[in-house]
Amino acid sequence: MSRTLTFEIFRYNPMDPDSKPHMQTYELDEYDSMTLFIALNRIREEQDPTLQFDFCCRAGICGACAMVINGRPGLACTTQTVKLPKKITLHPLPVFKLIGDLSVDTGTWFQNVNEKIESWIHTQKEFDPKAIEERMENALANEIFELDRCIQCGCCIAACGTARMREDFLGAYSINRLARFYIDPRDERSDQEFYDIIGSDQGVFGCLGLLGCEDVCPKEIPLIDQLGMMRRKMALRSLRQGKCS
Amino acid sequence: MTAKDTLSIPHASRNSGLFDWAQMLSGAALIMFMWAHLLLVASVLISTDIMNTIAEFFEKTYMAQVGGPMIGMLMIFHFVIAARKMPFSGRELLTFWRHAKMMKHKDTWLWLIQVISALIVLVFATIHMWFVLTDLPITAAKSAARVRELLPFYVVLLPMIELHVAIGFYRIGVKWGLIGKKSRKFFQRFEFLMSVAFITIGSFTLAELYVLGSI
Repeated sequence: MSRTLTFEIFRYNPMDPDSKPHMQTYELDEYDSMTLFIALNRIREEQDPTLQFDFCCRAGICGACAMVINGRPGLACTTQTVKLPKKITLHPLPVFKLIGDLSVDTGTWFQNVNEKIESWIHTQKEFDPKAIEERMENALANEIFELDRCIQCGCCIAACGTARMREDFLGAYSINRLARFYIDPRDERSDQEFYDIIGSDQGVFGCLGLLGCEDVCPKEIPLIDQLGMMRRKMALRSLRQGKCS
Repeated sequence: MTAKDTLSIPHASRNSGLFDWAQMLSGAALIMFMWAHLLLVASVLISTDIMNTIAEFFEKTYMAQVGGPMIGMLMIFHFVIAARKMPFSGRELLTFWRHAKMMKHKDTWLWLIQVISALIVLVFATIHMWFVLTDLPITAAKSAARVRELLPFYVVLLPMIELHVAIGFYRIGVKWGLIGKKSRKFFQRFEFLMSVAFITIGSFTLAELYVLGSI
């Protein structure tokens, strides 16, 4: 027998001076294989066209539909309602700028961070578009790909107690991203150059090991393994530096 | 550029890495000390003579007179270094509290327990060390009299210190990548069993000292 689901959804439009943050209740009949993405679309089509939320790929690839589902950040499109209780509470992701209701601007945050951590391959080699791509061991390519699967949904940042407390903390995304370049032999940055980016309490040493990031990552990336690896490398680097700066 | 951005970006400093080492190593040393301390005090469960002999050994080798204050200083050093991460401002504490309530996530709560237990241990362990080190030599009879007099004090200190030690041990492993994704469940169980085991041994020891104190 299908359930009637009760949705408690955060509503607020920061662009409207008359809007006040509040929770609004909707009810919807559940059916087999219903996802939160489908439920939200039905609510918007059938009950409330003003409801704001983001989606794009509907397949857990773009990361646009990330939101806080019953207290935990996750993707609406890959969350089946059958796995949730009858009452479902939805909030926008914290940390990021609110656009309205469940919609947040993750793009600006990620762009800022990517610029800060210089999230691209650093090499002195001239790029030759006609050259055959450099060969790489399959195991290493897989290792890099594993870390490259991040979809920048922002769940790890919203689930991080440190990022919630300290706005300047770079978060698991950034450290995982740098770990991806650290193991890539095409990136010619030295350990010291990596240290200069994340060797601080705003970077890898600020991580408290709360594991929220890893536990909510929709792509199940082993984030804490990367954080641990980068912490060890950067801590060793601090011992090898010549003088205090 | 947003209003939150700043043109003054602090440079990475070697000190950040060194502080992280200092926090981890001082924590690890205190964990080792606490395990050894608990087992040595628990020797009273076998006989008061064994405890007295061990205490006498530490006395004769000056480990109590010199080592005791050094452990005290190490604890304060560890607190000062680790306090860099603690939510001292009301805004940070409230944000973290709301976050923990929202997430209902075990490891997030564990950190809050670690912070609260750290503050309690700092005060209580300092008082305990003052009592012990200003009244040397250590003997089973003196310890028993103290426990008899201050039982509620030790009933609070024991679980707080054992929780802090067990969570700290687990978190060092997590933060330094020694406990990976696959072994996390095992170590969480290990951490739990370790807390239960040490609190049990400590409770029996307190009970034994309390009984001895009444004789």
